[in-house]
Amino acid sequence: MNNKKKTSFFSRFYVVLCLAFFYLPILVTMIFSFNSSKSLTHLSGFSLRWYQELINNVEVSKAVYVSLSVAILATVISTILGTITAIGLSRSRKVVRDLILNINEIPILNPEIVTAISLMLLFSSAGFRKGYVTMLLAHIAFCTPYVITSVYPKVRSLDPNLANAAMDLGATPFEALVKVIVPMIKEGIFAGALLAFTMSFDDFVISYFVSGNGVKNISIVVYNMTKRINPTINALSTVVILVITLVLVAMNVAPAIMKARGYKGNKKRERILLCILAALLCVGLVRCGSVARGSHVLKVYNAGEYIDLSLLEEFEQEYGCTVVYETFESNEMMYTKLASGESYDILIPSDYMIERLIKEDYVQALDWDLIPNRENLLPEVLDKSYDPGNRYSCPYFWGTVGILYDTTVVDEEDLSGGWELLRNEKYKGQLYMYDSERDSFMIALKALGYSMNTTDMDEIQNAYEWLIAQRDSMNPIYAGDDVIDNMISGNKAIAVVYSGDASYIISENPDLDYLTPAQGTNVWYDAMLITRDCNEVDLAHAFINFMISEESALANSEEVGYTSPVASAFEEMRDTTYEGVSSYVPQIENDKNEIFGYQEPKVKQHYAELWTKVKAQ
Amino acid sequence: MKQYKHLLKPYIIWAAVLIVIPLILIALYAFTEEGNEVLTLSFTFDNFRKFAEATYVNVILKSFRLGLVTTVICLAAGYPLAFIISRSPERVQGLLILLVTIPEWINMLLRTYAWMNLLSDNGIINQLLGLLGIDPVTMMYTDFSVILGLVCNFMPFMVIPIYTSLSKMDHSLIEAAYDLGANRFQTFWKVIWKLSMPGVVNGIMMVFLLSISTFVIPKLLGGGQYMLIGNLIESQFISVGDWNFGAAISLILAVIILIFMHFMKKMDSQDD
Amino acid sequence: MKNKLIELVDLTKNFDDQQVLRGINLDIYENEFLTLLGPSGCGKTTTLRIIAGFEEPSSGQVLFNGIEISKLPPYKREVNTVFQKYALFPHLNVAENIAFGLNLKKMDKSVIAQKVERMLKMVGLSGFENRDVTLLSGGQQQRVAIARALVNEPKVLLLDEPLGALDAKIRKAMQVELKKIQREVGITFIYVTHDQEEALSMSDTVVVMNNGEIQQIGTPTDIYNEPENRFVASFIGESNIIEGTMIKDFLVEFDGNRFECVDKGFPENEPIEVVLRPEDLDIVSPEEAKITGTVRNITFKGVHYEILIETENRTYTVHTTDYAEVGRKVGLKLGPEDIHVMWKMGTY
Repeated sequence: MNNKKKTSFFSRFYVVLCLAFFYLPILVTMIFSFNSSKSLTHLSGFSLRWYQELINNVEVSKAVYVSLSVAILATVISTILGTITAIGLSRSRKVVRDLILNINEIPILNPEIVTAISLMLLFSSAGFRKGYVTMLLAHIAFCTPYVITSVYPKVRSLDPNLANAAMDLGATPFEALVKVIVPMIKEGIFAGALLAFTMSFDDFVISYFVSGNGVKNISIVVYNMTKRINPTINALSTVVILVITLVLVAMNVAPAIMKARGYKGNKKRERILLCILAALLCVGLVRCGSVARGSHVLKVYNAGEYIDLSLLEEFEQEYGCTVVYETFESNEMMYTKLASGESYDILIPSDYMIERLIKEDYVQALDWDLIPNRENLLPEVLDKSYDPGNRYSCPYFWGTVGILYDTTVVDEEDLSGGWELLRNEKYKGQLYMYDSERDSFMIALKALGYSMNTTDMDEIQNAYEWLIAQRDSMNPIYAGDDVIDNMISGNKAIAVVYSGDASYIISENPDLDYLTPAQGTNVWYDAMLITRDCNEVDLAHAFINFMISEESALANSEEVGYTSPVASAFEEMRDTTYEGVSSYVPQIENDKNEIFGYQEPKVKQHYAELWTKVKAQ
Repeated sequence: MKQYKHLLKPYIIWAAVLIVIPLILIALYAFTEEGNEVLTLSFTFDNFRKFAEATYVNVILKSFRLGLVTTVICLAAGYPLAFIISRSPERVQGLLILLVTIPEWINMLLRTYAWMNLLSDNGIINQLLGLLGIDPVTMMYTDFSVILGLVCNFMPFMVIPIYTSLSKMDHSLIEAAYDLGANRFQTFWKVIWKLSMPGVVNGIMMVFLLSISTFVIPKLLGGGQYMLIGNLIESQFISVGDWNFGAAISLILAVIILIFMHFMKKMDSQDD
Repeated sequence: MKNKLIELVDLTKNFDDQQVLRGINLDIYENEFLTLLGPSGCGKTTTLRIIAGFEEPSSGQVLFNGIEISKLPPYKREVNTVFQKYALFPHLNVAENIAFGLNLKKMDKSVIAQKVERMLKMVGLSGFENRDVTLLSGGQQQRVAIARALVNEPKVLLLDEPLGALDAKIRKAMQVELKKIQREVGITFIYVTHDQEEALSMSDTVVVMNNGEIQQIGTPTDIYNEPENRFVASFIGESNIIEGTMIKDFLVEFDGNRFECVDKGFPENEPIEVVLRPEDLDIVSPEEAKITGTVRNITFKGVHYEILIETENRTYTVHTTDYAEVGRKVGLKLGPEDIHVMWKMGTY
């Protein structure tokens, strides 16, 4: 029909509506990149602060580079590989073709996490050093099938005589390919390339598992920021959008201008442009590769958002070395990477994980003579059950697990119930639990008066029933680190949190207070370890010594908000920044407090299964 | 025309190393017990038996229900969008398709965080409602927020294949239908819809697969109680550390997906 | 002829800035086999699409039995179309394709089956009911397309270059068959083609179009023998076209010679053009003719020879069964009835 060209009002409205839906979150991201405060829900004023931080943030700019170069390289390589494969497929016997096409579907059909784990297993069992190359290989691996699926149908619909005709006219098979076949299927190739770029640029799961040695793409950096949502990343995505918009405008406007000037497409110029692009990419690659080329390299693996990054630079300058700094989301994630063969020099996990690493011989004993700053440490943080005599570990931060509550909502007298506050139906629907099986079972076990390290099946069963009953009566949200931002915004009244996070949250939202329940709680310690196969033992000791110097410890505690194990820093923070913030001073004198111990795999699995049931049924 | 047959060779090697071997590794884990050394492999079906428990079956059912709902919404909302785009002037078509694709270039996590800020109890939407004097509505950590997040993220994967099949449709077929007396509605159902089936099937597969195996979006928008099969696999590999069980779930999921695919393909070829 | 069925009145059509139809006036009668003939881009397909309802005219009227229908959607018109590349629905089999229109009318299943069967028989495809249309040959698809359109018993069947995609032999056979079908069903066929032979052999009326305008309307014989202008003459068949002057009725002058002719009604000394069909020219000895020349080339064409004869002013093409060797001096003989005088392009 000829009204094909007219678009009705309703159609236009619908398109706008859909696009609004797609762009709403992006718009929010953009607006809040100009917010003067850290909040992502309340606008407090206009500022370019986050753009400043973006420029200064080496980690982000490196991540942008990695994301972009991996996406471009993976797109180019997988497009070429996919295209020649599609052409090859159309000329093969049916058996071979069907086999390849079926294999090709596996990465598309498999959940990303399975692909990620399987590739991680492959790279570690083959002894590959994880980093840029492994990430690139993995990206090519999951992009190529998409290219094949979009190019192959186009190849199949081609007249098989086309290439013959070209060769008949004197073209070599290669020329026939490039000059006849490829131009005929370029739509499919373009679609495949676009899909590959999209997949690669936005990938998180696979990248996370197959990369290492400090190579991170944007997604990994963003994921590690979950703990403290950082508007710097909003600034970044605003920049990304602007760049895309500019490119699109250029693409749409440039041809029009050229047309107006009577300029016809110039292949030479296009080629020169491509060469420049390739050269830029190469230069960038070399630059990126040379970042970690200091004479001594120390690889540190720490939890996300858990350090004052300027300390690393300070340390690098003082010792003339390079620090490769990587972060993990949980102790278990760290263990998974370590177990898959990844090597680090310094690890900063928690108590029970330390116990496990010692038991499984991943770490080496510290030479305390090389750590003279030991005398700065508080006596309370030393010689704990996870590492008696601190043979292997040096404390980094410490604290408790407790209840963060809104003083304007929760009644004073309800606090005496301790953990039972979490079952007080007055606060139904007002509750965040922490989505961690150990912490949740700890709460139930403590509320019931048991040890949180129990292996007694009846006690565990009782705790399980406690949690089930709580779930049914209270409708809690089992949240992760997003609890921090939620509590700052005052979305709910009660949350189970770590004392360090509580300090930070209370400093941002003074309506809140922190309760350490009288039934006892988990006292936890995060500490620095040197791995068994550390190559820079002296430097590693120097790093530990540096981190517990009075100045560093103060700066670190100030930035992160967690309680310092260094006496002077602890006292200074307690009396200044966190004056009156009860969570900064862990209440550990209660006899009923415990430290998490190592769990046998069977016990651990039992807990995990029960926790899955609590959440999923 | 056999000259190009050897072009297949690089990919055969590539696929063997980067697709088949990793898969064998996964299968190896699924059928063995924890702590096996290569020399003392002992095979077991325990990992699969464990899965038969009600909890895990529920997780699968919930994942499929959610995947289904997301897919249906994406189809219902995405088809008209693809249709309108394919009927608009050629210049506009390219632009609109780009506009649909661009959000996918912005980090998925970032977009999800933005939804969290929009939907939370004291979030932007509720603040706006407050200005209008409407009581805050709980949106976060519900089916609504999870499905919203999934639809927002995955709808382009529905729109683009449908658009592709609509735009390459021979326009004279539509004219033929009008000519034979079909009105707009009949032409749509009897011809356009049927002929766009390959795109629809493609879109359904993409969205369904993505939405039943995702774990980041449900975790962030639905909270920990939103236990889906992706979360279950992730937790087995990451927090529980039971790679064998994790691998077994992955295999089961893979098999279910293969059956589903087979079914969808059959439907596709029947309609064709 | 009989009743007027369709009237096109001052039809124009613009696409963007381009004028595709520049005022088409045409009457189409019941039971007529009418062909729109012209080179590609002449507007013939657009005219057909306006009749079918796929395009709306920019101005002008389409009257169907005297009623204006140019705003009526295609599915409400009593016309059906056979498309250039058939446009068979790939998701339906042969019988389902043919039954498509009947199903929409919610006709009884058994009636539909009967009609489909009858149609298949008419187009010679009995037993093909359940075949996949995409696996049929071009000629078979063509027949299905015709059956699919005719089964709806339209008043008019529109055919848009329906034989274009077929090879020569099948095309010939289909031409005969189409004509046969038209007689059988007794409805109006409007046929679009750029193939003059097809047009001449099948049609009752031929409409020659060029550049968005109608050049001539007439029976095939009229069009061939009495082309109204240079375009029609050169488009239909081969011809020698020569500029000349109409001295007076029945006397024309060209290349310095005066000839008797059968044309009249031109002003005296009017500049005109003369068409000489190659088969109307006879080769004689030089003495017998006013025009003389030398044989430059001779090609065997099966039924006849094509001989190029160079004269003082031009080269003539002659079709004859006589042989004449290259280099021979010959004369060209033409009688009054062999000369067709036309208006010069753009003057009528």
